[in-house]
Amino acid sequence: MRKEVFAVLRCSALLYAIQALGCRPGVSPEPRRSKNAEKSTEGTFVHRHVTKIWLVALTSGLLAWSSALNGPYAAPLQTAVPPAAPPARAFVNQYCVTCHNTRLKTGDLALDAIDPVNVAANAEIWEKVVRKLRTGAMPPLGARRSDEATSKHVVDWLETELDRSAASNPNPGRPALHRLNRAEYANAIRDLLDLDVDVASLLPPDDAAYGFDNIADVLGVPPVLLERYVDAAAEISELAVGAPDIPSGAETYRVRQDLSQDRHIEGLPMGTVGGLLVRHTFPLDAEYVLQAKLYRTNVGTMRGLAYEHDVEITVDGKRVQLARIGGDADLRALFKNENTTALGDQVDARLQVRLRVPAGPHAVGVSFLAKSASADTRQLQAFIRSSSDTYDWGGDPHIDTFTITGPFNATGSGDTPARRRIFACRPATETAESACARTILSTLAHRAYRQPVPEKDLQRLLTFYQAGRRDGTFDAGIQSALQRILASPKFVFRAERDPANVTPGTPYRLSDLELASRISFFLWSSIPDDELLKVAEQGKLGTPAVLAQQVRRMLADRKSGALVSNFGGQWLQLRNLRNMTPNSEEFPDFDDNLRQAFQRETEMFFESIMREDHNVLDLLSADYTFVNERLARHYGLPGIYGSQFRRVTVADETRKGLFGKGAVLMVTSHVDRTSPVARGKWILQNLMGTPPPPPIPDVPPFPEGEAQKSRSVRERMEQHRANPVCANCHRVMDPLGFALENFDAVGAWRTRDGGTPIDPTGQLADGTSVDGVVMLRQALLKRPEVLVTTLTEKLMTYGVGRGVSYYDMPAVRAVVRDAARNNYRFSSLILGIVNSQPFRMRMKAPVEN
Amino acid sequence: MFITKMSLPRRTFLRGVGVSMALPLLEAMVPAFTATAKTAANPRLRFGAVYVPHGAIMDQWTPPAGDGLTFTPILKPLEPLRDQVSVISNLFRAGEADHAVSVAAWLSSAVPKRTEAEDVRLGVTLDQIIAKEIGRETPFPSLELATEDFTGYVGGCSPGYSCAYMNTLAWADPTTPLPMEINPRVVFERLFGRAGTAAQRVARMERNRSVLDSIREDARELQNGLGAADRARLDGYLDDIREIERRIQQTEVKNKTHVTSLDTPLGVPDVYGDHAGLMFDLATVAYQADLTRVFTFMMAREASFKTYPEVEITIPHHPLSHHGNNPTLISTHAKLNTYHASLFSKFVAKLRATPDGDGSLLDHSLILYGSGMSNGNAHSAGPLPLLAVGGGMGKGDRHIQTAAKTPLGNMWVSVAEKFGVEVKSIGGSNGKVDLG
Repeated sequence: MRKEVFAVLRCSALLYAIQALGCRPGVSPEPRRSKNAEKSTEGTFVHRHVTKIWLVALTSGLLAWSSALNGPYAAPLQTAVPPAAPPARAFVNQYCVTCHNTRLKTGDLALDAIDPVNVAANAEIWEKVVRKLRTGAMPPLGARRSDEATSKHVVDWLETELDRSAASNPNPGRPALHRLNRAEYANAIRDLLDLDVDVASLLPPDDAAYGFDNIADVLGVPPVLLERYVDAAAEISELAVGAPDIPSGAETYRVRQDLSQDRHIEGLPMGTVGGLLVRHTFPLDAEYVLQAKLYRTNVGTMRGLAYEHDVEITVDGKRVQLARIGGDADLRALFKNENTTALGDQVDARLQVRLRVPAGPHAVGVSFLAKSASADTRQLQAFIRSSSDTYDWGGDPHIDTFTITGPFNATGSGDTPARRRIFACRPATETAESACARTILSTLAHRAYRQPVPEKDLQRLLTFYQAGRRDGTFDAGIQSALQRILASPKFVFRAERDPANVTPGTPYRLSDLELASRISFFLWSSIPDDELLKVAEQGKLGTPAVLAQQVRRMLADRKSGALVSNFGGQWLQLRNLRNMTPNSEEFPDFDDNLRQAFQRETEMFFESIMREDHNVLDLLSADYTFVNERLARHYGLPGIYGSQFRRVTVADETRKGLFGKGAVLMVTSHVDRTSPVARGKWILQNLMGTPPPPPIPDVPPFPEGEAQKSRSVRERMEQHRANPVCANCHRVMDPLGFALENFDAVGAWRTRDGGTPIDPTGQLADGTSVDGVVMLRQALLKRPEVLVTTLTEKLMTYGVGRGVSYYDMPAVRAVVRDAARNNYRFSSLILGIVNSQPFRMRMKAPVEN
Repeated sequence: MFITKMSLPRRTFLRGVGVSMALPLLEAMVPAFTATAKTAANPRLRFGAVYVPHGAIMDQWTPPAGDGLTFTPILKPLEPLRDQVSVISNLFRAGEADHAVSVAAWLSSAVPKRTEAEDVRLGVTLDQIIAKEIGRETPFPSLELATEDFTGYVGGCSPGYSCAYMNTLAWADPTTPLPMEINPRVVFERLFGRAGTAAQRVARMERNRSVLDSIREDARELQNGLGAADRARLDGYLDDIREIERRIQQTEVKNKTHVTSLDTPLGVPDVYGDHAGLMFDLATVAYQADLTRVFTFMMAREASFKTYPEVEITIPHHPLSHHGNNPTLISTHAKLNTYHASLFSKFVAKLRATPDGDGSLLDHSLILYGSGMSNGNAHSAGPLPLLAVGGGMGKGDRHIQTAAKTPLGNMWVSVAEKFGVEVKSIGGSNGKVDLG
């Protein structure tokens, strides 16, 4: 085997000799984690085993690098192991230093040179060792391995040492000054003002790091952001108060072209099909123009005019417009009139209604009245996606856009949730105004700044109130002060202050108010509510029972849905679904209904684990999921009808847990085929906590094209990774992905690929042989602590807002140990994190010079 | 609940203009912003490319051979701008006779990969080649504008070719078409921030200034007890406050003398001429404020079924272009060609009337106007109708006649040169065009 490998080599013989050993020089498996700490000095410990293998390599006759053998490698082992050697020493010498030594630095790691007695001195390196041994990723397949018990003994010892040292010398880390990201900003506005804003149109996107977009380090403050905050504050305060001079505008909502519109869409009136439903905030009591437009084919002909259809526009479920389109007259006009554009415009003109709408949020919908089955006008349709033929003017009409224009002829600010929330009092007389303004603004500022508001802050706000009042009404005064609150850095930033009486460079406990903000931004992606603030201000939040009670209360609140969309959406990469469009030639049935169902299913699934407080391992193995008709059809589940999602028991072992979710399977695929590599990487990164290093430069292209279509992805992949340099990582990644090959690029079950029967077998990095998704799941569940540790690291990254580092691992392990006693319940992880040092404490900045 | 805002055109547009770079100031802040950029001593050259579909009635477009430039019927509206106009003849584009190929192969000079699926591949377009060089200095590297709403078009738009080829003029790289925005209001808000009348925006600006002035105190208080790194972050924030205040102040001074008093458009105007005119206005203001130096504008789409009732053209453009040599249809088509040219000439006149440094915006521009089709009746690939205006061309009043069947890319290589961008080739080019 080794010889064969050599035979194909052209490049550096040294490199490949190392490859043959399964060693990877100079490539760190976790390149993002510190490089410096691994620069160790020349080593002294080398096992004989090494020399022997090098000689084998030499005798293969290809190697001309004798100089590389000078030094420690050629020399016999110099015994310097202390008499009472800690278990790590012998183990490392026997199983690790063959590759990870000062000379080869495989994976940028030299274990021969570091002191195995004082583990704490090299905590970062040992944490890496622990990680690889825990997951069974090292030593690599084909190299000598210890039995599980010995390996476990060593890892247990290393962990105990690392944890002991951390306990006596804690390092809770120091997240940077935190700024609200877009999601947090929007939620804060929602909770402060009872107002939903389209934050994407107000603020630029945030950068992400460590897989999340709430990492303090990268939430910088580019100059443009300040202006956007000031502008957003103006726009939001006008909308919230209902400023009478809000300019008219048009907002257009678009239906994705790949949405099938021949079925009922959840939330729209029963008995309708297709269309869209939007929650739109109408700024004033005023007239608005609602205009739906129908889809036109790619050559400009309006679709679906052959038969009569009724289009219904609804506001809060009440019909405000019913218009007939299509039928003989329209069809005749379509044929007679060369000017299809003008005809389309005439039809669209019927889908317009001008009406008065009270200010505030309203659900506005447009859809088609469903025809009874006996009057079904649909054509025989080749694919599930109703809009798949972009030239076809026959079939059903489709809604394309929906535009809301206004306000016109406004009569007032109305009675909106936002106004009810803001105006805690309504002054009856002019003399009562300033006291009322004081009440309103101190309440708003208290919530927005998340702490008691000193008099001088309140005075600043009152100055703005008075300026606004001078030029206008009481409301205008409040609006002006509200803009000032929302633009304040005290709202936009989350500052944590170093106490004066703490030695620089040492850890300290966060104040109760700082802790309250951390918890609410962790669980709600938003500001604390009044109850949490009150408990914190009373100094009770530090009490374990109170803290636990608050966390449980907050988890039970609807607002913890933020953990699903922001944490779950990023951890599982669900957010990427929206931007993925599977190749319509390979997957003509795929429609937006399915894309949305994928996302919905996995979100509901994650939410059920959270709300029902399941063992988090159920994420992999739960025997239930959530489907609607479209998704059930895709999964082949019979007897599910209708657009609404419902919980169903999953009997099919292959569909259980995350590996059976279309969302996960699709985000890890290419648009036209599966990617075992992406799926393997997803598992390594998100479930096992051992992300692979980035690919080497100049990767040859994957074999694509018509000629390749008869070969399975697996066959092509195996050829593609024949290069031994690639194979090193791919033999870890690919088997994970191969086990999922029965799921195609949109998560449908299949038994063949490109004419070849699916081969879902493989050997995982820890030596386990798997055959398909069920065995893969069982293999991963064999090491529950690995999965729970990874989830804990991800949650801690997200919760603390900084990358988790080696010095956090003792805290992570403590969370996992405690959670294990609670059957790994979701809440036990959350409570563990909230109680952990990295979450409760912070390192004071070192002395400045 | 199926409540979604996911595909607002605004956001699609954002990806196109690369919003992460920077975001617009209030419209009224614009002149101040200009002042911080390069001064008149080093005038910046702007690039524009305006596309019309279905080619032109070539014998009413192409000037006669010989010295000087004769304004043919279609070009007539540009005659008042004679000294700034160069007509370039005999260029051919690559690829087959097809609508999607015509538009795709225009600024890329490349042949699109034949596919109706998502695996599209073309080449980098001239505007993006130039934007990579001169777009970095402005908040928006480039603007992509259009008038016809086809953002929902996916799949095939002409036999064998994806709509992606037909939907845009601009490709950032061979697999990344940049979406074009059709809604003037969205463009406006992206460029200038909040909506409203010019007066409302000035009032808001003043309020913003007092807010900025006041939050300075909050920022200072927030700094107490922070570590050095966090304090530094807030120092930057305080600097930003000062800088923005300074700009607002300058703007207020300038406002009295120099304001582009464009009110926010409500949405898409009903009349085409108004719509196209607004898009040209927005491009003018974006140039003027130095928010971008590169724009592309698809005045209408290939295979467009648009009619032009405002000039009594009620036959949709596409069927009209397949005139079958019917003299009435030919003359109507020429009329439409002339109408498009007249809208373009208004834009050029506006650029000439807008001062910029030591001259006008037009003096510091190079703007192309043309089509990727020659004879719309036959979908032919050349000779293409093309003209260029602006001081960037060196001189006007010229009819540049290249050798027969010169690849369009040769012209683009020479245009790129005018922007200081040296490229060996663009698409299928095999040389240059001597632009003098």
